[in-house]
Amino acid sequence: MERIYGEGTAAVTALAGVDLDLFAGELIVLLGASGSGKSTLLNQLGGLDSPTSGVLRYRGRDLAGMDEAGLTLFRRDAVGFVFQAYNLIPSLTARENVALITEICRDPMAPEEALAMVDLADRLDHFPAQLSGGEQQRVAIARAIAKRPEVLLCDEPTGALDVHTGITVLEAIERINRELGTLAVIITHNAILADMADRVFTLSDGRIVHARENATRGAVRDLAW
Amino acid sequence: MLDRKLRRDLRALSTQALAVALVMACGLAMMIMTRSLILSLSTTRDEYYGGNRFAEVFARLKRAPQSVEAELAAIPGVAHVQTGIAVQVTLDVRGLAEPAVGLINSLPERGEPRLNRLHVRAGRLPEGRASRGELAVGEAFAEAHGLRPGDTISALLNGAKETFRISGIVLSPEFVFEAPPGAALPDNRTYGVFWMPYRELATAFQLYGAFNSVALTLAPGASEGGVIAALNRILQPYGGRGAYGRIDHPSHRRLDDEIRILEGLAIAFPLVFLSVAAFMTNSVMSRQIALQREQIAMLKACGFSNRQIGAHYFKFSLGIVAAGVLLGSAGGVVLGGLLVDMYHLFFRFPSLEFRVDYGVLGVAAAVSAGAAFAGVAGAVRRAVRLPPAEAMRPEPPARFQPSLFERFGFARWSGPSLRMAFRNIQRRPVRSALTCLALALATGILIVPNSFRDGIAYVIDFQWDVIQRQTVTLSLVEPGPERGLHDFRHLPGVVRAEPFRFVQVELKSGAITRRLLLQGLPAEATLSRVIDAQPRQLRLPERGIIMSAKLAEVMMIQPGDTVIARVLEGRDREVAIPVVGLAEDFAGTAAYMERHALNRLMLEGDRISGAHVVVDKARWGEFVAAVKETPRIGGCIIKDALRDGFRKTTAESIGLLQKIYSFFATVVAFGIIYNSARISLSERARELATLRVLGFTRGEVGAVLVGELVILTLVALPLGLIIGSVFAAGIITTVNTETVRLPLVLTPANYAFAVLVVAVASALSAVFAARKLAEIDLVSALKVAD
Repeated sequence: MERIYGEGTAAVTALAGVDLDLFAGELIVLLGASGSGKSTLLNQLGGLDSPTSGVLRYRGRDLAGMDEAGLTLFRRDAVGFVFQAYNLIPSLTARENVALITEICRDPMAPEEALAMVDLADRLDHFPAQLSGGEQQRVAIARAIAKRPEVLLCDEPTGALDVHTGITVLEAIERINRELGTLAVIITHNAILADMADRVFTLSDGRIVHARENATRGAVRDLAW
Repeated sequence: MLDRKLRRDLRALSTQALAVALVMACGLAMMIMTRSLILSLSTTRDEYYGGNRFAEVFARLKRAPQSVEAELAAIPGVAHVQTGIAVQVTLDVRGLAEPAVGLINSLPERGEPRLNRLHVRAGRLPEGRASRGELAVGEAFAEAHGLRPGDTISALLNGAKETFRISGIVLSPEFVFEAPPGAALPDNRTYGVFWMPYRELATAFQLYGAFNSVALTLAPGASEGGVIAALNRILQPYGGRGAYGRIDHPSHRRLDDEIRILEGLAIAFPLVFLSVAAFMTNSVMSRQIALQREQIAMLKACGFSNRQIGAHYFKFSLGIVAAGVLLGSAGGVVLGGLLVDMYHLFFRFPSLEFRVDYGVLGVAAAVSAGAAFAGVAGAVRRAVRLPPAEAMRPEPPARFQPSLFERFGFARWSGPSLRMAFRNIQRRPVRSALTCLALALATGILIVPNSFRDGIAYVIDFQWDVIQRQTVTLSLVEPGPERGLHDFRHLPGVVRAEPFRFVQVELKSGAITRRLLLQGLPAEATLSRVIDAQPRQLRLPERGIIMSAKLAEVMMIQPGDTVIARVLEGRDREVAIPVVGLAEDFAGTAAYMERHALNRLMLEGDRISGAHVVVDKARWGEFVAAVKETPRIGGCIIKDALRDGFRKTTAESIGLLQKIYSFFATVVAFGIIYNSARISLSERARELATLRVLGFTRGEVGAVLVGELVILTLVALPLGLIIGSVFAAGIITTVNTETVRLPLVLTPANYAFAVLVVAVASALSAVFAARKLAEIDLVSALKVAD
């Protein structure tokens, strides 16, 4: 599929023909420098944006041709997002930030349970401003997984974190992937994260320039950068 | 959970939300206050009229035998007839130097009056065998003189001085507004209404077995015009002075006009305030939504629909509306309750209770919710239209360019702070224009209430210094020959006397008729003068009539047209008179003719109704004593007393309204300016913190923020003065009625006050913003978007 922003001379090609299949239970890492198109790809996968041309299917459903309402439902039911900037609601506590999402989906886990999965059972009633960066990111992960999503999309989840905190966040993602069988896609420019993946794709100029399959996934706590 | 976010967001924005809610509350309070006053006045009036059987058609005549009453009752369409006697007498009230005028009405000999029944406030009606020498007195006059049942009062009855005992204090639906006929203002010290049994009154005036006043009610479906015509036909041989309906009844008309004024105010002021509130809601919500751009994107990414997000922000504005409606209702009810007491000064009802117009409460809530929603709709639409992926990215840097100001070459003088302020204004022309407009509105609404105050001051000066320059107006019991003027001139202390002849007429132009006192004055009087809008004195011509501009307007007459005058005293005749000029007159409507011309019209010799006189202050006591001893003098109006009365009643009540409105306008002005500063601050916190980090001093950074506000204020002020003048003109037009008129007066002091309030509000907001600026944590401001 392709994604081109703008028109005519101002047109910018963010994705110039990407072709891949992703499967349930996989942990995927998308590598690439800034501007390589990995965020654009993630947005297509999550139904935040639609490709300009090409085909995008999720379990046989055509996402490329879906309207705004259809995409909203898709995101609500199937997709969990983790953003680099966390994007928590500052006026809500950790528990409330999670509950915000569990209120609108079909079969959520309790907010407390989701927060326990990311080791935040003791920080339920803290506001974002009272949490460290790593804790905020784990609240964001809890918020993403509380709906038991089939797809978990993480945009630079450790981008703003130090190594130690980053590891705990990645462990949380890996655990969700393993225990719930969720397809997890992590985009990062940090190549070291590739070791924890089932498959690794490297993007450059809107194309997949390299693909690799790990025979065994490396343990997250062994990562170091 | 979104609702919880809503509550916390509202709390975080509480001062701003409160500012908007306050502006809204001011508009609503005025609306509820005035509508509730209208409801209170009109329902009280209707109940009073109904309960005390206020008549629908009225007539005065010279004298008709009692037997004519049966003829009147037989007119088709007449339900009930009440005949009686009403005579004007001179009173001698203890403690009052000058003579007062009383209108004594008769009470039926047996039983209650069929129409215009009295409400006894204290004591009892003069009834039964013991009632000889007793009368009942109207409440307004009794209150002005501290009269109680059992007190006595002296009156000249047909030349003979008699002393009466007051049996009771009463109210009548005929005299809700207790003022002499033709007077726009009550003067309760020198004019009172009384009631006494028919036999005694009739005997004193040699009217026993006859009547000189008629009141009647109409059968359902009867035509008022038809009944009046029939009534006039029957009464004509008996000196009938023309029957009239409620619309021409002085008390009823004055009350109606008051309600009409309130109706004007109930729309004009709230409209302005609510539009301002809608604008403020919009700016607060736009900013709030811009700040929450990333939150909105996250919500959308997580599967919230546009409808859910839109509803969330609508609810946000609903929170503000709810606070506004609550505050506004409470304010309107409290103020209305206070103001209703003020009407007691003018209108006498058995009880005037404040009634809250609950219907208007609902309308008010709907109107302000509508205004707020209109204000929010655009911002919400923009927010939900943004694709989530795009919203997640930080907003692209806005495009700047050198401002016009710089291109004109002013850049050399302006430091970087001022340059940034100018570029900021130019980058967002619409936002800047709207802020400017809001500031202009804040300035404008400050003008309106003070123009009321200045208008009243002008009326006081114009009416009693420019038009009327006499000390006292003396009137004869009956019009008499011109030589009577001689007697006036010989009263002690009289320096100058000018005669006048007043005649009750009905003016007709097409289908429009008006009853009034046609004033016959000397061609070029020096005391009671005819003045035009310039103002310059008009000379009364030998032929033709000059009327007040308002009267010409309501009768749709222009100079050069002809008006039909029907004389309602003496011989009944109709004459066509050319209208030769328009005069300015703020005390109701008036028409003037040269006195001899008027007498020719009457087919009478040279007669006068009284004289305007100037009295030497040093001989005032002698003068008043002499007037009291002159039986032919029926009325004595002291200009200064009238002016004082006006100051104490009308001026004070309008003054109270003016203060309330001024207060509201000030609140609104502060609200708008504070809000603008807040928004400007929150929009730019990051930018300003960056400047601080880069080494700008706090003062320099403050100058960027304050500079923008100052520039916009400077542009807004002149605009606001223009807007305010237009508002004032519009509102004064809506409140001007035939009996109450106010000129549009815009003084430099008024403008200065508006400018001062806006300047102070701007300065305080700037101080506040500068203090907030000092609180910004530089590091965190740079790290995380707010």
